[in-house]
Amino acid sequence: MITKEQAQKLVEKVLSFSTFPECDISISSSERASIRFALNGITTSGFTVSQSMSITSVKDGQTGSTTLDEFDDASLKAAVQQTETLARISPANPEREEPLDAQKYPDIENYATSTAAARNQVMIPHVQSIIEGAKSSSLVAAGFFERAASTAAIANKKGNFGYGRTTDAYLSTTIRNADGSSSGWASQPAVKIEDIDGAIVGKTAIEKCLQWKNPKKLDPGKYTVLLEPTAVGDLVQLMGFSMQARAAEEGRSFLSKKGGGTLLGDKLFPDFITLRTDPKNKLYSVLPWGGGGGFGGGGGGGRGGGGGGAGMPAGNATWVEKGVVKSLFYDRYYARSAGKEPTPFPGNLVLEGGSKSLAELIASVERGLLVTRFWYIRSVNQQTVQLTGLTRDGLFLIENGKVTGPVVNFRFNESPVRMLQNAVALGKPVRVRGGEGQGMIAPSMVVKDFPFTSLSEAV
Amino acid sequence: MLSRRTFIQTSSATALASRLFAAADSTKPNPELETLGAVALAEAKKLKATYCDIRIIRYRRQFVTVRLNPERGTGKTLEVPNISDGGSFGFGVRVIADGSWGFAASPIVTKAEIARITGEAVAVAKANAVLKSRPVQLAPVKAYRDRWQTPFERDPFAVSIEEKLELIRTAAAAAKKDKRVFSAGCNIGFRSEDKYFASSEGSSIQQLNLQTSAQVNATAVDQAKALSKTRRYVPPPVTAGYEFVPIMNLVENAGRVREEVIEHLNAPPVTAGKKDLVLLPNHLWLTIHESLGHSTELDRALGYEANYAGTSFLTTDKLGKARIGSDIVNVWGDRTTDRGLATVGYDDDGVKATKFPIIEKGIFKHYQTIRDQAHLINEKESRGCCFADNWSSVPFQRMPNVWLEPGKPTTTLDDLISGIDDGILIDGDGSFSIDQQRYNFQFGGDAYWAIKNGKKAGMISQVGYQARTTDFWQACDLIAGPAYWQQWGATNDGKGEPAQSNSVSHGCSPTRFRQINVIQTD
Repeated sequence: MITKEQAQKLVEKVLSFSTFPECDISISSSERASIRFALNGITTSGFTVSQSMSITSVKDGQTGSTTLDEFDDASLKAAVQQTETLARISPANPEREEPLDAQKYPDIENYATSTAAARNQVMIPHVQSIIEGAKSSSLVAAGFFERAASTAAIANKKGNFGYGRTTDAYLSTTIRNADGSSSGWASQPAVKIEDIDGAIVGKTAIEKCLQWKNPKKLDPGKYTVLLEPTAVGDLVQLMGFSMQARAAEEGRSFLSKKGGGTLLGDKLFPDFITLRTDPKNKLYSVLPWGGGGGFGGGGGGGRGGGGGGAGMPAGNATWVEKGVVKSLFYDRYYARSAGKEPTPFPGNLVLEGGSKSLAELIASVERGLLVTRFWYIRSVNQQTVQLTGLTRDGLFLIENGKVTGPVVNFRFNESPVRMLQNAVALGKPVRVRGGEGQGMIAPSMVVKDFPFTSLSEAV
Repeated sequence: MLSRRTFIQTSSATALASRLFAAADSTKPNPELETLGAVALAEAKKLKATYCDIRIIRYRRQFVTVRLNPERGTGKTLEVPNISDGGSFGFGVRVIADGSWGFAASPIVTKAEIARITGEAVAVAKANAVLKSRPVQLAPVKAYRDRWQTPFERDPFAVSIEEKLELIRTAAAAAKKDKRVFSAGCNIGFRSEDKYFASSEGSSIQQLNLQTSAQVNATAVDQAKALSKTRRYVPPPVTAGYEFVPIMNLVENAGRVREEVIEHLNAPPVTAGKKDLVLLPNHLWLTIHESLGHSTELDRALGYEANYAGTSFLTTDKLGKARIGSDIVNVWGDRTTDRGLATVGYDDDGVKATKFPIIEKGIFKHYQTIRDQAHLINEKESRGCCFADNWSSVPFQRMPNVWLEPGKPTTTLDDLISGIDDGILIDGDGSFSIDQQRYNFQFGGDAYWAIKNGKKAGMISQVGYQARTTDFWQACDLIAGPAYWQQWGATNDGKGEPAQSNSVSHGCSPTRFRQINVIQTD
């Protein structure tokens, strides 16, 4: 992977070829090792090295960009020339911001050399533990174990330079019975690979699979639900994209006020709802400038601080505090237009929780459904953040504070905005990552009136 | 050998012809690539791998976009352009050793790195062998030495950026040319994939795949109600050159988008209930994709995708027997379709492109397969559905173009509409979601018109429809004729872990479905 010194040399080289007043550079490199397993055996596995650079040249607002992964002198020179040629052709971008001066980036590196060094020999025992557990119960295991180490640098012609390193690991498993009539799932994301415990992940999924036998068909309708932390994260992570000040002011957001203006400062949620961006949280490993988190995420891959952060130092933000909308997301351009300070992108989300365990929350529910996770979640209405998707791999009925049996899966149509408004209790927050998206830090949650609209016989 | 200098020269040239690894009229791969490929094959053999393939790939991606939106405070329309033109180059090596797959990849394309990465792939395979459920078994394949390319007339990378900009600026301006349109945009994109494949089966194949795509969009806002609506025109993304761009009619359609986004903003919500649906090809492609395309993938049916995308309701005991649709539902898997996004000469197993029936007269006939699966359902050869989305990705089973046969030549769109008392005509794709076994789905569209008493009426909004795959396709009672058949598709079909994106097209004619459950969304 590219070291800080190598990145500095590459930046110097690129800038030496630049003839335009502005040249922004973003460099990333990564090493990933992964194992897929299914039918109680490893199916595919890979080790991938990658590097990439994006270059943007600007003169009088005219902008041209390229990406490349060949870093020899001739390729870099040709790339810079190409961006300058493109910029000359392009109309000026009226929303282009001045490049940043040299920034002071926070020291938030959370890099585990153990994760970066791990190869199949380290990962296989966890997979083996899951497969052996499944076999001993006459079940069938499938899953995925990946670890990634990344480095990234950003720089510009005004002397700004940043460098960061991240690591992450992720293990997930789906356990099914031999005839495919029952399924259970569990996962664990971790910055340090030694924190991953295949035995516990496997045991959780196996227990869910064994319990989900002969599920009962309930009618679609509104139910009280107890969402496990992954299910909460599956939906709430998608709210981050809807915190934009611009969309709110322009009448295109759930935060738009009828007749104009925004709902900033309004109390939309119960007192116990607080949603923050916290890149310094030790459960995350992120770059010291703005963007999302985790591998493949907005900033984790070193994409130059994406999401409008454009290389601003990573920082905390509070979007909702005690139920009140406290901040909207301003990128640098829109912040300047509005006379506001730019904010971090709403990534690396943390939904604060309480102290109750899942068992205590179960005990608090008179009649409701316990949801392991959601799947195939897609936007139905971007403005209201209405989503549709399905329950998967463990849906259970709770009656009089006890889990009384499995239930056939449902499709839902609901917005996480309404869901948070209907929340009645929270559990302890943990870092979660479901089947889609990079996940977040979220607690389990009891929600009333959660609308299930049709049955899904899928297992 | 193929020197780095050669690649640099080819990458910086603007014309496609000069950056090909092989001469445009060549029927054989570039000999320097063959030399590089041989390094991996020899190294794998030396390390006792029983199979090896290498893919060396160069991508080029060019996007030109423009967005017209009001400036905060003044309301003045700002034109925000974005031009990017970049690429990627690297290789991936796949081996079988001790009966298990191994894979490794790198962006450093040199003989030494190819040898090193081949060693990594073998090491991965050998480490995995302790936990294999069964040894990998490959269906036989012929050895080919060939060069194939997307048929095209005009190299999109040789067309000036100025010409592209003028087109999209004109289209965006046409979409915005009404005060009631809040913002509008247009973009156009081109991708080339120049891929060399060599395998220990004796194949040496070079393929050039070209993609062309575009979009026009508009947004209308009612500030008083804090309500916004959008409308899009997405011409079919295709494998073709710039000659397809005039066929897209971006400017003409931008005018329609402008009018329809305003109509959409004021359109009344649908009344929920059972209704007849007429689905146009630019909508139905996605329903075909999700409900029929993915459910007939053999890897899903066998459980290989259980942890992520899921399995399938079409388990192997249903092959050749299960009724999926009505008698008029005939569906093909096809890697040879003209301009199809999944159209290739050979797949990433080195299997020549095929066409095969998936559903005949409503009955499930064949799965999509690759070399290491065919024997699991007692088939003698692969159906050529192996694909990886990058040099750094592991090839696995991906969907070919899956298309629905048109109806009788005399059947018109009016015939479909005229037989409906209370229904909806749906245009364009929107929200889409389906369960992990492909039973229960819910789709939205981009625009909806009520059908009342056999006639198309006004636009409506907030429409979603939910159904069970087999109920839905058995409710299909009329398909328009071949004159209406059109192909749409996507370049971002996700599957696998780590997730990969496949490009795939789905052709169909407008089709009618009876008594489908319609819901009112937000």
